[in-house]
Amino acid sequence: MTAHHRILRVGTRVSLRVHVRTLVVITCLVVAIIGLAVVTLALGDLGVSPLQLPAALFGDTGASSFVVQTLRGPRLLVAIGAGAAFGVSGSLFQRVTRNPLGSPDVIGLMAGASAGAVAFGILWPGVVPLPVGAVIGAIAAIALVYVSTGTGFASPGKLIIAGIGVQAIALSFVQFMLTRIKREQATVLATWLNGSLEARSLDDVGIILVVLGVFGTVALVLSRRLALVEMGDDIADGVGASASRTRTFAVLTAIVLAAGGVAVCGPVAFIALMAPHVARVVARSSSPVVAGLMGAMMLLFADVIVQFVPAPQQLPVGVVTALIGGIFLGGLLMSQWRKGAL
Amino acid sequence: MAERRAHGSGRYALGVAAAVVLLGISIIASLGVGSKALEPGQIIDSITGSGDDYVDAVLASRVPRTILGVIVGAALAVAGGVMQGVTRNPLADPGLFGINVGAAAAIVTGAAFFGTVASSSVWLALIGAVVAVIIVYALGSSRGQAGTTRIVLAGAVVTAVFSAYVQAISLSFPDVFDAYRFWVVGSLAGRSIEQAWLILPFIIVGLVLALGLAPGLNMLALGDDVATALGQRPVVVRLLSGASVAILAGAATAGVGPVLFVGLAVPHIARMFSGPDHRRLLPLCIALGPVLLLLSDVLGRVIARPDELMVGVMTAFVGAPALFIALRRLRGERR
Repeated sequence: MTAHHRILRVGTRVSLRVHVRTLVVITCLVVAIIGLAVVTLALGDLGVSPLQLPAALFGDTGASSFVVQTLRGPRLLVAIGAGAAFGVSGSLFQRVTRNPLGSPDVIGLMAGASAGAVAFGILWPGVVPLPVGAVIGAIAAIALVYVSTGTGFASPGKLIIAGIGVQAIALSFVQFMLTRIKREQATVLATWLNGSLEARSLDDVGIILVVLGVFGTVALVLSRRLALVEMGDDIADGVGASASRTRTFAVLTAIVLAAGGVAVCGPVAFIALMAPHVARVVARSSSPVVAGLMGAMMLLFADVIVQFVPAPQQLPVGVVTALIGGIFLGGLLMSQWRKGAL
Repeated sequence: MAERRAHGSGRYALGVAAAVVLLGISIIASLGVGSKALEPGQIIDSITGSGDDYVDAVLASRVPRTILGVIVGAALAVAGGVMQGVTRNPLADPGLFGINVGAAAAIVTGAAFFGTVASSSVWLALIGAVVAVIIVYALGSSRGQAGTTRIVLAGAVVTAVFSAYVQAISLSFPDVFDAYRFWVVGSLAGRSIEQAWLILPFIIVGLVLALGLAPGLNMLALGDDVATALGQRPVVVRLLSGASVAILAGAATAGVGPVLFVGLAVPHIARMFSGPDHRRLLPLCIALGPVLLLLSDVLGRVIARPDELMVGVMTAFVGAPALFIALRRLRGERR
């Protein structure tokens, strides 16, 4: 117990060990998310002024409540939910692999999920629902990376190169399918493949909230066990938190969270890589809560940028995160080299 | 990469003979296999001018893709061999170097802002490839020596950023997107013979440059200090190598779109017969590259009948396992 911790007690039964800095960061992130949410709802021609928001949210069946409840509300909630799912997923992966690059993007999971979604959306429609297809693709990609490195997830360099290979297979399949369909369909699919928040429905909101609710909770439980595993496998086994089982569950949870995000808004690039990093630097904690909030804030922020940028057609949000994330990845690799970790 | 030195001339001669025979077989297969199958006899009759008109017509449609397959296969394989030599990295492949995405970025830029012209898009792709190589090299060699996996990682970064740009442009301009989605799979089909003649001079220049660099690449394999002591200038060898890779892979990509893994896999196969000596390795690559590309193309015509799988899709599925095998061989080495 360090000086940075406080014990929070509710009555005599419930007590919580709290990291003060983490609490401050969480508060700031929540405020930022609410602020960005107001901006998203109020922005542009169709926007609803902040003063009218409460009325539009609850009751009132006029034009402004249509905008908030049908047009922009779902988009906003999907952005928050999927961003959080990506953030938590990335955080779990990076902790399990003990590797700052162990992100779902870098190891080909996102590309695998896209390929799975495309396979079960176009090639074998109706066999399984699309989100399940995305999970199948993601699991296949991870399995392939795990096997082909020869050392599991241990070596960062090998991980990336195997990921590049898996990505090449998955993307060439996706690109091939893109040549097989009509131009209009292909444009819609390509937009989704970049990660897009356009025209989300309440169904999407439902999917991501269920996935996040169930597996986010699992992630919280696993996070404590992972903290033990990080002290060494022997210690974890000794206190009854089997190290290998914890890792397996963590990877599976991370896969479902990432695939859930992909199912509702496509493979948005690099949120899962960036969010846990920034969260760790800012909060000095690897809590999945901070990583999740950071992911939600980042995706929401990127979506605001997309809606501001003047373009002939509104760009998919993933283009913005790919641009920023690519530069971030470059910086990250540089710092890894400097440390001699690669 | 501890290659054993004991590669006798006999083994090399065997490799060269096998490569030449395979090259002949794959050219005949590329001309003969398809929705209308031709016998080797019919092909020879047609070439000597005594075939019937129908056979002539079928053959005429397959000649451009076969010629393109030969020159592009040779270019990619040699580019891969040079890259693996200069980075001393057995996993190097021009596609992973950011060359594809550089070419793609240039092509969508041209298409969106200046209107697409088929012949000028080859030039654009070349320029884009060269720019990408320069950026990747600069990134990969900053803070110390370029080499090992750094170049590949730098390639991954450049690929991420450039792809975002390509997606932004192609999704903003529907016509550009429509052309791009067919370009990006990499295909030998539907290309004109003019396209082959347009890129051929670049590929010849690139091949000559690469072959001339072979002794320098051998020296580089001994380490920079030894190479310098033996009178080589490592920086010059590296720069010229980068130029030859950019010309070869850039022209190949301009000709048929991005084709991954040929440059990765072929030098590995060739090395089994040639050993690490680049003076032997690179010529063998010239023969074996077309074999892999043409056979992938033929396979793509056969397995998806009556449709075709593009060669770029085939090489990804054939080549990625080759990458995994190479990766597993690195066991024990820290990368």
